[in-house]
Amino acid sequence: MQRFNFPVVQPDPALEELRGELQAFLKEEREAGNFRPEPECWMASADPEFSKKMGKRGWIGLTWSSQYGGHDKSALERYIVTEETLRSGAPVGAHWIADRQHAPMLLAHGTEEQKLDILPRIAAGECYFAIGLSEPGAGSDLANVKTKAEKVAEGWKINGQKIWSSGAHISHYMVALLRTSPADGRNRHIGLSQIMIDLSLPGVTIKPIVDLSGDAHFNEVYFEDVIVPDDCLLGEEGGGWKQVTGELAMERSGPERFLSSYITLETALYQLSGKMGSDSHARLGKLIASLRTLKGMSWGIANLLSQGVSPETEAALVKDLGNRLENDLTQQVRAMLNDLPTEDWSPDMRRIMNIGVLRSPPNTLRGGTTEVMRGITARQLGLR
Amino acid sequence: MINTEGMVAETATKIYTDLCDREVPHKAEAGEYPQALWDALAENGLPLAWVSEANGGFGADHDEVFGAIWASAQAASPVPFAETLIANWMLDRAGLAPADGSASFALSGHTPSADIPFGMHADKIVLFDEAHHEISLFDNRVAVRSPEEALSPDGMTQFVFSGHVAEQSAKTDLSRRAFEALILTVRAVQMAAAMESALNLSIDYVTQREQFGRPLSKFQAIQQQLAVAASECAAATMAAKQAASAIARHSDDPEQAWHEAVIAKVQIGHSVEAVTVPFHQVHGAMGYTQEYDLHHYTRRLWAWRDALGNEFHWSKRLGEALAVTSPDQIWKGVTTGQWIAS
Repeated sequence: MQRFNFPVVQPDPALEELRGELQAFLKEEREAGNFRPEPECWMASADPEFSKKMGKRGWIGLTWSSQYGGHDKSALERYIVTEETLRSGAPVGAHWIADRQHAPMLLAHGTEEQKLDILPRIAAGECYFAIGLSEPGAGSDLANVKTKAEKVAEGWKINGQKIWSSGAHISHYMVALLRTSPADGRNRHIGLSQIMIDLSLPGVTIKPIVDLSGDAHFNEVYFEDVIVPDDCLLGEEGGGWKQVTGELAMERSGPERFLSSYITLETALYQLSGKMGSDSHARLGKLIASLRTLKGMSWGIANLLSQGVSPETEAALVKDLGNRLENDLTQQVRAMLNDLPTEDWSPDMRRIMNIGVLRSPPNTLRGGTTEVMRGITARQLGLR
Repeated sequence: MINTEGMVAETATKIYTDLCDREVPHKAEAGEYPQALWDALAENGLPLAWVSEANGGFGADHDEVFGAIWASAQAASPVPFAETLIANWMLDRAGLAPADGSASFALSGHTPSADIPFGMHADKIVLFDEAHHEISLFDNRVAVRSPEEALSPDGMTQFVFSGHVAEQSAKTDLSRRAFEALILTVRAVQMAAAMESALNLSIDYVTQREQFGRPLSKFQAIQQQLAVAASECAAATMAAKQAASAIARHSDDPEQAWHEAVIAKVQIGHSVEAVTVPFHQVHGAMGYTQEYDLHHYTRRLWAWRDALGNEFHWSKRLGEALAVTSPDQIWKGVTTGQWIAS
């Protein structure tokens, strides 16, 4: 009767208490000058010192057990932390990816030694991971990865290159999707495996790529006869494709898919207080309606995920709608700021708006392009 | 929430399935009013679903009634079912007995007349007079009705209240915002349901229709257009559900649900263009014909988008309401749905 599965879930008072603690901490840090808020903070704004503070407060590794340095909390509590750090534009980029996807991956596929060694360091905000999916010849066409891992006596020998790995230059590990057996012409998804690589090993070279905003958060990573032990294979040999698609579904519906640029709006609201004209009122109303709706969709999925249901299409919908909204937000705020002469903009407003514009192109690329998301939806609609 | 599994929702769904097949909306437009459909709804007491038990209704849960409204919109209901539910709810909230027969409604600030949906079919008209905090019931059969040019197949009439004596009147302590909240939410539920029906029609059509030697659905350009429309439909359903859920939570004081209702109106109103354009585009000329079903949904969507003020009007009103509050309060609203400082 209703085509998609998005339950409406009411806020939980216990979670709202956690929200209050986060807000107090983030306000204090910001006012002390310990960070300058930025849009896209989870991708491009990394500060290991800040990550360690988050770790000390118990706000990384919320979902896994204390045996591995975690905090035995739910994915919904993690969601609140995510939401609040995005709202304040805090420099969470160092630990974000490890906390979001590699810790759960290690819990599912790592050895006991790896879990005991690595997970507590992630939770402390001291150990960072980079994603190793894209390659120069394989962007959205992920099945086309060529980087090879060959079985050798000591474990796996890796040769090839990954690209667009955010934060690899400060990360300790990369989990890479690698070809462990030759491609079958008919089914390219066969023979791919996920392998965890210690980035300090000999044979690893990391070269930063400077983006158009002047930031160098993503990298090219080269592997030349890098040897990793057997137990660095995560999950099943040849099962990499299935593991990766499952992982992508989980990362597509989080608040970072529609709140990355919220700081731009909030900064403008302070600037425009009492000065907004009727055109700006209309833009504000529309933006808030979209944000509230996306929050409902994303929160519905978060609740399903916490019950063990992983709705792939719904996640793709949230990413597509959310990415469009993030970019639209920057454009609408630009228009709203017409109510204020540019010489009256605060330095922060100018800086945040500039960063917002310059960091907007990847919104609709990272985590799967808009076109790929629509392909997933079309499949669910029965059109493919 | 929108509960399609309760008794009210299931009864309505069954009646619409049995008595409102795809020919019924076509015949209704040609002048053959589906009296049997209305009679079945009335015999089962469904128009009284929101009337309190003390007042002769059965005080059903809001979410179940929204489920019934969902079913009626998906069937392109050519009878004033949702309108009568709203009108009877308005009467009930002023302590008045429900309307005898079908009804439609109007909100009036200081204007003496109003545009009434289903004005040629409804037996009664219920008016909320904001200036006097009063709910009044008028007999629509004796009044002079003038049909207006309407986008919707449901039609619209102009009703001039001044000069007519109300059959009944009573004071209400509810504010205009309370009435707006319920009416906008009902429209949001209808619009989300109509969008989904039109999406389903479009999917069926492109799967069957062949061009250039293969089904339209196999063209990537078609897939991408419908995927975008589907995402707008999913967002519309969520917005409608959040508004419906807020109404259900605040059934004693619907004004508390005003922000969520306006959000749904704004979100869905802005989506109408984003869905009706691709739906008509993928249907080609077929979707433009009277004999095909698509226009039962798209014309209603265009009309409901304008009803009680269009998406630009409500975006501005929402923005004005938010601009005077703090960024903290706005954030709280976005994240938790609590818009009114407690």
